[in-house]
Amino acid sequence: MSLQLVANIIVLTAIYALVSTGYILIYRVSRVLNLAHGELMMVGAYFLVATAGLFSGDPLLALALAAVCGLVMGIVVYLVLMRWMTGEAVLAAVLITIALGILLRGLVILIWTTQQFYPGATFGWRNPSVPIAPGVQISAASLAIVLLTFVVYAGLFAFLQFTRWGVRMRAAGQNPLLAEQRGIRLHGVYAFAWGLSTFTASLAGMLMALDSGVESTMATIGLKAFPAALVGGLDSLLGAVIGALIVATAEIAAIQYVNPLLSDVVPFVVLLIVLAIRPWGLFGSREQLDRV
Amino acid sequence: MRAPAFLSFAAAFANASLLPLAGANAQNEYTVGVTAAMTGPAAATQAPVIEMLRIYVDRLNAKGGINGHRVNLLIEDDQAEPSKAAANATKLVRQDNVILLINSSFSSTYGPVIAESKRAKVPLWFAGAVCPKETHPPKADPLLFCSTGFDFSVDIPVAVKWIKETAKEPVKFGMVGIPVPISRIGVDNAEKLAASLGMETVDKEFVPPATADYTPFATKIKTAGANWGYAYAPWPAEAKTFEALRRLGWTGTYLAYGHIQAEDELARMADGGFYVFMANAMFLDNLPVQKEIRDVAAQGKYSFPATYATEGWITGRLLEQALTQSGWPASAEKVAAAMANLNLDTQGLRGGPLVWTADNHFRTKQYYRFYRYDPDKKSVVRMRDWLAVDVVD
Repeated sequence: MSLQLVANIIVLTAIYALVSTGYILIYRVSRVLNLAHGELMMVGAYFLVATAGLFSGDPLLALALAAVCGLVMGIVVYLVLMRWMTGEAVLAAVLITIALGILLRGLVILIWTTQQFYPGATFGWRNPSVPIAPGVQISAASLAIVLLTFVVYAGLFAFLQFTRWGVRMRAAGQNPLLAEQRGIRLHGVYAFAWGLSTFTASLAGMLMALDSGVESTMATIGLKAFPAALVGGLDSLLGAVIGALIVATAEIAAIQYVNPLLSDVVPFVVLLIVLAIRPWGLFGSREQLDRV
Repeated sequence: MRAPAFLSFAAAFANASLLPLAGANAQNEYTVGVTAAMTGPAAATQAPVIEMLRIYVDRLNAKGGINGHRVNLLIEDDQAEPSKAAANATKLVRQDNVILLINSSFSSTYGPVIAESKRAKVPLWFAGAVCPKETHPPKADPLLFCSTGFDFSVDIPVAVKWIKETAKEPVKFGMVGIPVPISRIGVDNAEKLAASLGMETVDKEFVPPATADYTPFATKIKTAGANWGYAYAPWPAEAKTFEALRRLGWTGTYLAYGHIQAEDELARMADGGFYVFMANAMFLDNLPVQKEIRDVAAQGKYSFPATYATEGWITGRLLEQALTQSGWPASAEKVAAAMANLNLDTQGLRGGPLVWTADNHFRTKQYYRFYRYDPDKKSVVRMRDWLAVDVVD
C-alpha cells in the first residue's frame, strides 16, 4: 500500500471520527440516537458561509463566530425540542430528531438554495496542497481536519476525565436518576452535551466546506459517518476512532482494489458484519445496549 | 421540496380551500405540470432551471399570458426519487388535468412519468435533464420531447474526438462519472470510442454524489498514469475530482461537460488545464438576450447567479412558443402537435435554432462551444466557437 493511500485513509478516518463525536456525546449522555446529526453538521457549514460573507477579510473571526453558532445551535435544539422529551420513550426522541433533520434540510434550501458555496473562496483562500512525505500530498483543509480531530479527541478526553462538567456528563449518562439525586442538573448537562455535539459537527462541516464546498446534500456525509460510530460502539469515543479507521480503510480499499462503485456500500457491509458478531460494537458497553 | 411539516400542512390547507376556484380558473388557463428535483441530490442542476422557468412564466402572465390566457405552472418536487416522481405525475395528470408535463430530474424518475404521460396521452418534455433516446430521430415518440443542452449520445463523440485532435501526446484517459445509469453508460461509451480512436483508458471512477473526500478517487486516476481526464457527470463530481487531482500534483488536462455552474466555477478554480464544452453560450459573450436574462433574474429574485439561468430561459421561450402555436382552447393533443413542429430562435444562447419535427423531438443540429480559464488574461475565454453536429439516427 502506498503512502498516499495511507494518507487518504488517515484523512477519511479523521472526517468520520470528527463527525462521529456528536453521535457518541449525545448517546452517552442521554441514550438518544441523533438522526439529525448530518443536517446539524451541514447547518454548521452554512454558518461559515454566512459569516464568511460578513467577515470575508477576517477568516479567523468568521470561523470562530461560525463555531460559536454551532455550539449555540445544539443548546437551542435541546432547549426548544429535546428538553420536552425527558421521561418519554427513547424512540419518541429519536423520531423527533428525524423530524428535525427534515426541517433543517427544508430550511437550508429556503435560505441558501441548492447552490454550491465555497467559503474558502470568499476568504480568497485557495486550499493549497501540502506535502507531508515524499510523493504524498493532502489539501491544507484535510490536514486541518486531521489535526483538529486529534485536538478535539484529546480535549474531550481531558474534559470528560478531569473537569467537573465532564464528570457530571459521565454521571448523567451512567445513572441519570442517581445523578439528579446528587444535585446534578440534568437539563444543563444534556443541553451542554447537545452544544458540544453540534460544535464538533459544525467544525467537521466547516472544514469540509473549506476543502470542497458545501451544498444541501452534505447531510448525507453524516449518514456515512454513522457506521463508524456504530462499529466502534455508540458509547465509546475510542471506539469511534477505531470504527472510523476500519470503515475508512474498507472504503478506500474498495475504491483502490475492488470497484469504486462499492465505496458507498462498504461502510454498511462492515457495519452489518460487526453488528452480527458484536451487536454493541467493538468498544461499546453491552449493559448499555440492554438498557436500550 | 421536502418542506417542513407545518408548511406542507399549510400548503395542503390552502390547496383544499382554493380547490373550487382553481377548478374554475383551470378552464381559462394553460395548465402545465412540472415534476422536478427541486431538492435532493440532483437539485443543484435542476432547481435553477425550473426556478427560471417559473420567473419566465410569471413575467408572461404579467404581460397578459399567451393568447390572452394565463399559464398556470404547477411545480412538484420529486427529490430525484422515482416514487415521488410517479406520485407527482399521477397528481398532475389526473387531478390537475395538465395539458403538458415537464420533467427535470434524474433519469431514474423517467419510467413512471413516461408511463403516466402515455396513459393520459399528455406530452412529456424533458427540460434541463437527460434526453431519453425516444426523443431522438429517426422515429421520435409522438409524446416525448427534450430541449436539454447536453445529451450523451452526441456529447461524448464530440468530446472524445476533440481530445484526439487536441492532444499532443498519446492519450491515457482517466474517466470520471457517478453511479447513475446515464453517467455510467456515457463513460463506458467514451471508453469504447476512445479505444476505437487509438486512445487508452487507464482508469474509470464512479464517484458517489455525496462524498466526504474525493482524494481516494483522484489518487487512483493519478497512479494509473492518466494524462487526460474526461468527466461526464453532474458538475460537483466533475469539478471536485479535478480539484483533488490537482492537489495531488497531477499535471494533466481535463475536459468536462459545462453544466450551468461552469462559468462561475471556471473563474473560481482559475486553472488553465480544465476545459469545458457546452451547448449553451456563457455570459462572457454579452449577448443582448443575456442582458435581458440578468435583468429578469434580478427582478424575479432568482435565487441563483444569473449565469445559471440559460437552460431555464430557453425552456420558458420554448413553452411560450409551443403554447402560442397550440392556440386556444388548449388541449394536450394540440400542444403535442405544436411541439412536433417547432422552430425556436435561440438568440445566440445556442449555436443555432432549436428545431423539433415530427420524427425528431431532440433537435436537428446540436452545437458546442469550448471554454477554459486563461491564466494570462485572468478570465474565462472561449477556445473554440460553435461546432455544429448533425443529429442523425
